[in-house]
Amino acid sequence: MSTLVSLDVTDGIARVCMRRPEARNALSKDLITQLRSTIEALQSRSDVRVVILEGDGKSFCAGMDLKAVATDPVAMGDMLRALAETSLAIRKLPMPTIAKVQGAAIGGGCGLMVVCDFGVTHPEAKVGYPEVDLGICPAVVAPWLVKKIGAGPARAMLLLGGTMSGAEGHAKGIASHCVPLDQLETTTMALAAGLAKGGPLAIRETKRWLSVLDGSNDDAAIREAAEISARIIQGGEAQERLAKLWGS
Amino acid sequence: MDRLISHDVLDDGALHRITLCDDARRNALSRAMFDELDAALAAVIAAVGARPAASCVLLTATGRAFCSGFDLGACVADPSTMGTFLQRLSAAVRSLRSMPCPVVAAVQGPALAGGCALVTACDVVIAGPGARFAYPVHRIGLSPAISLPTLRGHTGGGARTVALAPEPLDAAAARSLGLVHEIVDDPAALDDRALAVARQLLGKGPKAVASIKRWMNAHDGSCDLAALDATLAASMATGSSDESRSMLAATWAAMQKPR
Repeated sequence: MSTLVSLDVTDGIARVCMRRPEARNALSKDLITQLRSTIEALQSRSDVRVVILEGDGKSFCAGMDLKAVATDPVAMGDMLRALAETSLAIRKLPMPTIAKVQGAAIGGGCGLMVVCDFGVTHPEAKVGYPEVDLGICPAVVAPWLVKKIGAGPARAMLLLGGTMSGAEGHAKGIASHCVPLDQLETTTMALAAGLAKGGPLAIRETKRWLSVLDGSNDDAAIREAAEISARIIQGGEAQERLAKLWGS
Repeated sequence: MDRLISHDVLDDGALHRITLCDDARRNALSRAMFDELDAALAAVIAAVGARPAASCVLLTATGRAFCSGFDLGACVADPSTMGTFLQRLSAAVRSLRSMPCPVVAAVQGPALAGGCALVTACDVVIAGPGARFAYPVHRIGLSPAISLPTLRGHTGGGARTVALAPEPLDAAAARSLGLVHEIVDDPAALDDRALAVARQLLGKGPKAVASIKRWMNAHDGSCDLAALDATLAASMATGSSDESRSMLAATWAAMQKPR
């Protein structure tokens, strides 16, 4: 298996980078698997104070690479389950997490941005949840969106589908920071450096209570939501729309 | 000694204005400030409870800061002080949040750490252009967990951003996250606008206001005693850790250096 996710730890700041730039870091089975194991390995790293999740190339993450398993609906469901497990692993990290989002964060990619504590993007980026346009149910990523922006705004966003600009995503609360593209790196690193100055035990306690109070530890509910997405993607509606999208 | 808090009773007993006025210490929550705040809140609770007509509380401040948080010098001098201050802060937050009438905050400058916690306990937050909101307490090894139940009541999921952010949020950012409800662009107009809002609230049905506030408190978990106790305990545990002792000492030493 080629290396699709790299990890660099410098001065307490871990950079987890998705490296499938030729596919705009679309989440293939291998990429999700490597992302999950990289994140889980950070769980117990006491030398890591902050985790940055980023994507190599022009885009953060274009979403699930469903086309790669176009003839295998069961595999699609498994990939959505894997996305849920990876999201849970990110949320359980005891150190602050930042998604650095250039270009696009679509569908599952937007889910990865939103599950992080902070999302730094730029005005022209393309973000959002176009799942319903494809007959896919975004339940797998919905819990994190609801926790971030509240049920009312999340309802409209998930039902309307489509995408929005980074500026609009920031205004709607799915990205915490929105800066010009040429300041994306410096803003992300300044945020990370500031977070790295915090006492790790204190931050761990704050994150623990944030997750207790917003229900992030309800793994069963997250997995149940993923099952709904897995079931719907295997159905005729999703498969017909996906086939039409891919022209097959 | 000059008073650190001024408690003015306006509008024939209907409107209680509590003003933090210790600009020399940027309205820090010192032992003396807590004493005066406790006394003012106790007087307000008694007066509001005895009054059948509408009441309103306005929490405001004068000087450079709304409230700069705990008096860290006192915490350095006596390690048990941090825990005492956290308990007193929690008590003040609970008093404000369970007050059976609306509490309006007028925030003219930085509301940091314990100062931000006081703001989260208020129902309506009006900010001037100089208002800033932050919990810069991870840098002294302290978790702001104590503030999360009331902060979440205002911001929901945005509490992650506010509680963890290393840099203060300005009034606009705090408004987009739900902590600030109105921004007054002209700093000189803030007090008048806050008074106007408080007086507007005095025109509502006091029983209806009290009961919807009670319902909101139950609905958003900001008066959930188990959560308030557990998050207070979490902050106290971090505040008495070795990590906190050494980070606080280092921060305090850096603060004493002339700039």
